[in-house]
Amino acid sequence: MKKLLYAALFVASASIFIVQASAQVIVIANPSVKTSDVSKNDLKDVFTGASTSLGGGSVVPILLKAGTVHEEFLQAYIGKNDTAYRAGWRSLVFSGQASMPKSLDSDSAVVEFVAHNTGAIGYIGKASAHDGVKVLTVK
Amino acid sequence: MNRLLVGALALALGAIPVSAQSLEDLNIQIHGYATQGFLYTNQNNVFTTTSSNGSAAWNEAVINISSAPISKLRVGVQGRYFILGNYGNTITLDWAQADYKFNDKLGVRVGKVKTPFGLFNEIQDIDPSYMFALLPQGPYSIASRNSQLSEYGGVVYGTLNGHKLGKLEYRGWDGVRSVTKDDGNFLAQRESGTTLPNGLSGAAIGAALHYRTPIDGLMIGASDLYVYQKSCVIVNTPTTGSGQTTNNGTETVSPFSQPFFFSKYEHGKIMAAAEAWKSTAKQSVALTGKPVSINATANVAWYVMATYKVTGKLTAGAYQTQEFNHNAKLGPSRYLKDWVASGRYDFNQYLYAKAEEHFIKGTETDFDATLNPNGLKPTTNLTILKFGFSF
Repeated sequence: MKKLLYAALFVASASIFIVQASAQVIVIANPSVKTSDVSKNDLKDVFTGASTSLGGGSVVPILLKAGTVHEEFLQAYIGKNDTAYRAGWRSLVFSGQASMPKSLDSDSAVVEFVAHNTGAIGYIGKASAHDGVKVLTVK
Repeated sequence: MNRLLVGALALALGAIPVSAQSLEDLNIQIHGYATQGFLYTNQNNVFTTTSSNGSAAWNEAVINISSAPISKLRVGVQGRYFILGNYGNTITLDWAQADYKFNDKLGVRVGKVKTPFGLFNEIQDIDPSYMFALLPQGPYSIASRNSQLSEYGGVVYGTLNGHKLGKLEYRGWDGVRSVTKDDGNFLAQRESGTTLPNGLSGAAIGAALHYRTPIDGLMIGASDLYVYQKSCVIVNTPTTGSGQTTNNGTETVSPFSQPFFFSKYEHGKIMAAAEAWKSTAKQSVALTGKPVSINATANVAWYVMATYKVTGKLTAGAYQTQEFNHNAKLGPSRYLKDWVASGRYDFNQYLYAKAEEHFIKGTETDFDATLNPNGLKPTTNLTILKFGFSF
């Protein structure tokens, strides 16, 4: 019985950790993007190449090359680790179905790019400055 | 010569920054991958290799260049070098296309385009993108890969969003497909002395539907491929007997279709898939002065597969596939049954290794007579090691 309780406690702790992790990432978009919120499924479709539109307009996903924020974003919204995620994109690239999304080195580079490119959508750490972009609420 | 070209290609790739980030100003991307496979069998030699002694005659190298000059237009080209035993050893144009996507509901590709039938055909040559070293050979025969991958023509594609009902992805294609003279389908003929100097070509038309159900991660789908090939010239030089001379003639394959039914489920660390496939064909060979010979095949195949992500870098999986030719005589040459256990380790996002064991019963496909001169054994265990690099 104690083991069950410990297991339940562990699962609950892990769940809290995951929720907190996803809360550390925000999704940002160029002001031209026509929506202020996005469903988790639509966000996943955009960042896996299944869709190139959001709120009736074209969007272009922008990635971070690596790091905690990148891993947290993938875990929270895509459900894959970086290796599996990039393997999915390679399927699309090598079968001629898509181009590899641009990957940038830092939150500030993502903000800079998203702010100046129509339809761009990316993600950064919650604490990072994000002037010139809009923050999308993930429902 | 081809190996020299591949060497030159590898050197050229080495000169490119590994991240293959877009060439910013021109909006150009360059990507590629290369693999080296090792085969060992305990009985029959497989895939025209000397696998019973261990064989490293399995290489692939791909380079892909694409550009998006405007937001909805992409143009690109992909070349591929492939060798497996006596198959391939040539550089082919994998695809070369212009893709205009009006919106998510409608897009068009024209040029030499990938033929999107079944669950895996579009990516069956893209080794870095899946976990197994060898896909089920019934629908995705590696000996016929060059012929199956793409065709000259066009594809119309799109996704219809049913919101709470899920999404329906559609693809329709029409084009001309060429089956080259070294294709695996012609192996038995080649070994009996009949060659097709120009191969076979003809129309290949089809459609595919992938329904992404409201159940997260579950897709079910179907596709059909209709092939109408022209008669082709054949040259027969008997390999046995004395005093026989070369003879010319024609080969005709009656129009046929290849329906596929498939399903895939992905959730978290798990992927499961199943597919069934059917192909019937009638081939007539008419040599001057000889009676027409007819060979009819009625193949059905299916597989079930599953993979599990053990850690961030290690994936394990297994599949079971069976293929039957209902027109073949009873015995091991009528079927191929394959139990497969596999593992893949990703060292990083560029380098990976695969290890795979096949427990094969039957000899319906994949085995040639020339490299098995003492006849085929009914069972074969096949061990595969594969290393890959992609960028």
